[in-house]
Amino acid sequence: MTDAMNTTTAWAEVQAVVLSGITKRFPGVVANDGVNFAAAHGEVHALLGENGAGKSTLSNVLTGLYRPDEGTIDIGRVRHNFGSPRDALDAGVGMVHQHFRLVQTFSVAENVVLGEKGGGVFLSRRIIEQRVRELSERYHLPVDPAAKIWQLSVGEQQRVEILKVLYRQATVLILDEPTAVLTPAESQALFTTMRAIVAEGRTVIFISHKLDEVIDVADRVTVLRGGRSVGTVATSDSTVRSLAELMVGRDIAFTRQRSNDLVFGDSPVVLEMRHLQAHDDRGRMALKNVSLTVRAGEIVGVAGVAGNGQRELAEVITGLRESSGGVTLVGGFGLRGGNPREAIDAGLAHVPEDRLHTGLAPSLSVEDNLVLKSYRKRPIHTVGVLRRSRIRSMATALIERFDVKTPGPQTATRLLSGGNVQKVLLAREFTAKPKVMVAASPTRGLDVGAIETVRKLILQAADDGVGVLLISEDLEEVLALTDRLVVMYEGAIVGEFATSAASIESIGMLMGGASASPDEVAAS
Amino acid sequence: MNHNLFVIIAASAIFYGTPIYFAALGEVLTERSGVLNLGVEGMMLIGAVAGSWTSSHLGGPAWFVVLGAIIVGAFAAALCAALHGLLVITLRANQTVAGLALTIFAGAVGLSSYLANSWHVARAPALRQIRRLNVFGLKDAPVVGPLLFNHNVLTYLSWVLCVVASIYLFRTRMGMHLRAVGESPQTADAMGINVTAYRYGHTIVGGALAGIGGVFFSLAIVPTWVDGMTTGRGWIAIALVIFGFWRPDLTLVGAYLFGAFSSLGLILKARNVDINSSILDSLPFVMTIVVLVVVSTGWARKRLGAPASLGVAYEREER
Amino acid sequence: MSSVRGRVRFEKRLDVAKRMTYLVPLMSVGAALVVGAILLLATGHNPIDTYHKVFSRGFGSRSSLSGTIGLATPILFTGLAAAAAFRMGLFNIGGEGQLIMGAVGASGVAIALSDQAAPVIFIAMVVAGMVCGGLYALVPGFLKARFKTSEIITSLMMNYIAAIVLNYLIFNSTSYWRDPKSKGFPTGKAIGSAAQWNEFTVSDVVVPLGFVVASIAAAVVWGLYKKTRFGFEVNVVGDSPVAARYAGVNTRRKVLTVMGISGALAGLGGASDIGDFRHVLDAKGLSQAGYGYTGIVVAALARLNPLAVIVVAVVMGGLTNAGYALQGPDFPSGLVGTLQGLILFCTVAGEVLTRYRVRINRRTVAPAPSGPAEVSAA
Repeated sequence: MTDAMNTTTAWAEVQAVVLSGITKRFPGVVANDGVNFAAAHGEVHALLGENGAGKSTLSNVLTGLYRPDEGTIDIGRVRHNFGSPRDALDAGVGMVHQHFRLVQTFSVAENVVLGEKGGGVFLSRRIIEQRVRELSERYHLPVDPAAKIWQLSVGEQQRVEILKVLYRQATVLILDEPTAVLTPAESQALFTTMRAIVAEGRTVIFISHKLDEVIDVADRVTVLRGGRSVGTVATSDSTVRSLAELMVGRDIAFTRQRSNDLVFGDSPVVLEMRHLQAHDDRGRMALKNVSLTVRAGEIVGVAGVAGNGQRELAEVITGLRESSGGVTLVGGFGLRGGNPREAIDAGLAHVPEDRLHTGLAPSLSVEDNLVLKSYRKRPIHTVGVLRRSRIRSMATALIERFDVKTPGPQTATRLLSGGNVQKVLLAREFTAKPKVMVAASPTRGLDVGAIETVRKLILQAADDGVGVLLISEDLEEVLALTDRLVVMYEGAIVGEFATSAASIESIGMLMGGASASPDEVAAS
Repeated sequence: MNHNLFVIIAASAIFYGTPIYFAALGEVLTERSGVLNLGVEGMMLIGAVAGSWTSSHLGGPAWFVVLGAIIVGAFAAALCAALHGLLVITLRANQTVAGLALTIFAGAVGLSSYLANSWHVARAPALRQIRRLNVFGLKDAPVVGPLLFNHNVLTYLSWVLCVVASIYLFRTRMGMHLRAVGESPQTADAMGINVTAYRYGHTIVGGALAGIGGVFFSLAIVPTWVDGMTTGRGWIAIALVIFGFWRPDLTLVGAYLFGAFSSLGLILKARNVDINSSILDSLPFVMTIVVLVVVSTGWARKRLGAPASLGVAYEREER
Repeated sequence: MSSVRGRVRFEKRLDVAKRMTYLVPLMSVGAALVVGAILLLATGHNPIDTYHKVFSRGFGSRSSLSGTIGLATPILFTGLAAAAAFRMGLFNIGGEGQLIMGAVGASGVAIALSDQAAPVIFIAMVVAGMVCGGLYALVPGFLKARFKTSEIITSLMMNYIAAIVLNYLIFNSTSYWRDPKSKGFPTGKAIGSAAQWNEFTVSDVVVPLGFVVASIAAAVVWGLYKKTRFGFEVNVVGDSPVAARYAGVNTRRKVLTVMGISGALAGLGGASDIGDFRHVLDAKGLSQAGYGYTGIVVAALARLNPLAVIVVAVVMGGLTNAGYALQGPDFPSGLVGTLQGLILFCTVAGEVLTRYRVRINRRTVAPAPSGPAEVSAA
């Protein structure tokens, strides 16, 4: 470790990346407003900020995807004007995106060498696989070069992304929220890799909103708030609390938004799953014998790393996916399954993960989307003819009640901001007076204000007696909102807690599978 | 079945299958880049009329005229493909509608007919036709003669192209880049591959191949001009791409299968077999539907499917 | 930087201006005429002269207007058929074959019921045309709903099969439809005079009954899609099939219903072809008419609005009418189809303008490429 520290100091005299006065405007928004950022050789430099603070925009500017309206980019003292990601890559800037940029049907090695300049007309599988194998061994990124991407776990796919960037000999690596899809143990392994990379004098820019991780792995932190850079500090001088204050501009405490004293023993069971089984799109077992109950007024959380069966669980309950075994009961009545209409009629509301394309018809108007499920019910139509004036007045009332910012009820829904899209969806789901609501990642990608609104609406629904199943990869959210939570791992429920008594550590270990013991995590 | 009859059917399957194969191979390359071009029928007809016109206006030795006709036919159809590219790659128009537009514009009652009547190619048979060769003097050898040594130059070219295209797609860097562009243009773009250039390039080459298929019609199969002379073969070519799982080799097999369906009527009629010709005429079309249904069910759909971004315009996330 | 790209940029429009709904079709026709003029010049024709003739032969007099409305009738039906299906993102391009099947059905009942009263025959023909066209469209519809087979190619293959069936009935067999008395060149049995549909004369312009039926059908389709629960579901499926499934819409059943409606509209066009115009199952005439393709152009130019289809069909009918009247050395066949294709091209390109704002970035020194830059001027 001392060697690495020495290297860091030696390189620190030369800045690897300097961004000055970066401004990027989008119609109606200034995403970056005169942002200054500088990172040295040999350091892990964190870029910290809440959702919507401008982190993604800044990294897209640095990787040539966006062109800044104002400001300059210097990489290793050379001024650059990137016109495309290729320019940035040629200048030594590589990015690992949050949503992987991988060709699913290609092998690991093919993905790594994709787009490589030179190297001959023909392609020898054996040679490229050998090269990738050497690279993966050098950086402790174990992955089979011949495997196809679709066969890999999310963690392995991320390693391929990092290998891609290293293969191009990038001097600056940007990792965009890399730990969001990892278990705590995998995150620790990633941090080891990051240290190995900077030990060679390269720069890692680590984008995150997780304070403890930032303090854990980064040397310095630049904090963005509302599109501006509010300061750069050394992590050795920082605490979780001081970074949090910089990030949100106020003192926040980790808050539980739900009372610990609620008891639901006497409330009726509104949602019950018995031994549910289902396959995923590729025909693999995705749900293994899942049983769970939700009572009226109760909020039950489903925690877990993405891709462990949560999506299939939501789809089976709501009828979007056929189950291969087990039953779902809503309000005591068994569903035949595989039929969304049946689930809706039984009193099940659904806030899907992909709200704009699954939960809403994006090009249809706000008012049409507000009646997307109730159009076939009585007051909306008379003998099959829609009552447009009724729809209009109902929509106007809902827009007002849920404070949806829209030019009017006839505006196409896709033109609204993410938060308002979600409000339209929630407004529709709540007015159906459901018994149960299944909400999947309901706040993902929303800005701070919208997150608060959506959370309040969910809490309000539970107070009104709706049983809520909250499926979220955001552990903080699950801990803040739920009464009870279960952890899913590889399609099975591996643990259940009363939220007030749950510890983040034990949940984290379950999320990573029973194999990760606390000692192992500490050792790496 | 008579042994001789089998050879005749196989040889004419190759003959009638070749133009379909050219068009289908072009569409394989186009679709591998993520562009769906439903204008094949129109491009074939444009190629046919351009080839026909060249053969009756160009002087010189026969091989020179035929070569000129092939080049002009390919070029004319490539221009149509470039137009499609402009609409769907640059302007990001709906690929299905743009392809239909191309077929209507260029097709049986459109530009190909207009040009044929304007240039008077409809009046007389083409002066120079693409003749069958007698390779190594073996055309009369039993069985292998008609199967392998008595085709025209375009059939031999199609065999070469089949091998070249297979190697290109699966063994070269450019081929890998092409497949990446069709599967995930975002990834390809991020890795510095010029998505637009790959899409234009392969759409245009695909059009040129469809044009050569058209020339085969007007200078080898029906050596006079008839409006809409390709009678739906362009559409069958599109279906063949699906049948061949977007692979040059399997597509060749499919093309010969449909060549056999196309020729069966003529052969059986010549042999006085008593089947109503309407049933035989409808065979290629009915079989196309059957084949499409088969490949869209069950196991075939799961892994060997279309390029993941087929038909989707690529738009960089620049807001 | 050598690889600076994106000199011409497309920015997504945040709101679509209402005027675009009629500006885009008008500009498309205008642009198509300009390109067509270049084509005419290049092939040695005078475009102004040609266009003047097209207009006067298509719309210039009452008699030409009568011919135009007659030729607009079948493409009004196929245009409606295309619009009804395309609205749900269902590319039924088998309007041609469905129209042929409608004509087969309608002529069959017209021959069979020749001794009945005219209204009975009329209703029977309408029903038979719709049923035959609808059932024929249900074949690709069923394959789509059951096996997810692309309806584009299957419905198109069905066109060729319909033409072969038609040939079979008249030329290749001694079927019920073939006139046994026809010597030499075989023809179909003519329908009786009671089976012929009425005409109306409005200030010297002849309007066939089929045109009235088609206009009523257009209004019905418009109401169905705009005002009813069914139409709402169709719009949701058309916009996002996933969202439709999420909302509990049975998309398979919707595919079957919409294909059936689409085919029935085209089949009705076949009934009108027999009742209004040819009065006989005319194998050669029907398979050469190209009603199906023209219907797609009509639907696209009308931006899939059933009421606008009426207007556009009349415009296209005028073009076709002029094409027939002028056919000769100065006006080669195929010109009308070429112009229609150009109109469709320009409509497709024009749609882009409703979704994007074209912005030319002038900060770079390199000249803007000429292709895309033209669009901003259009």
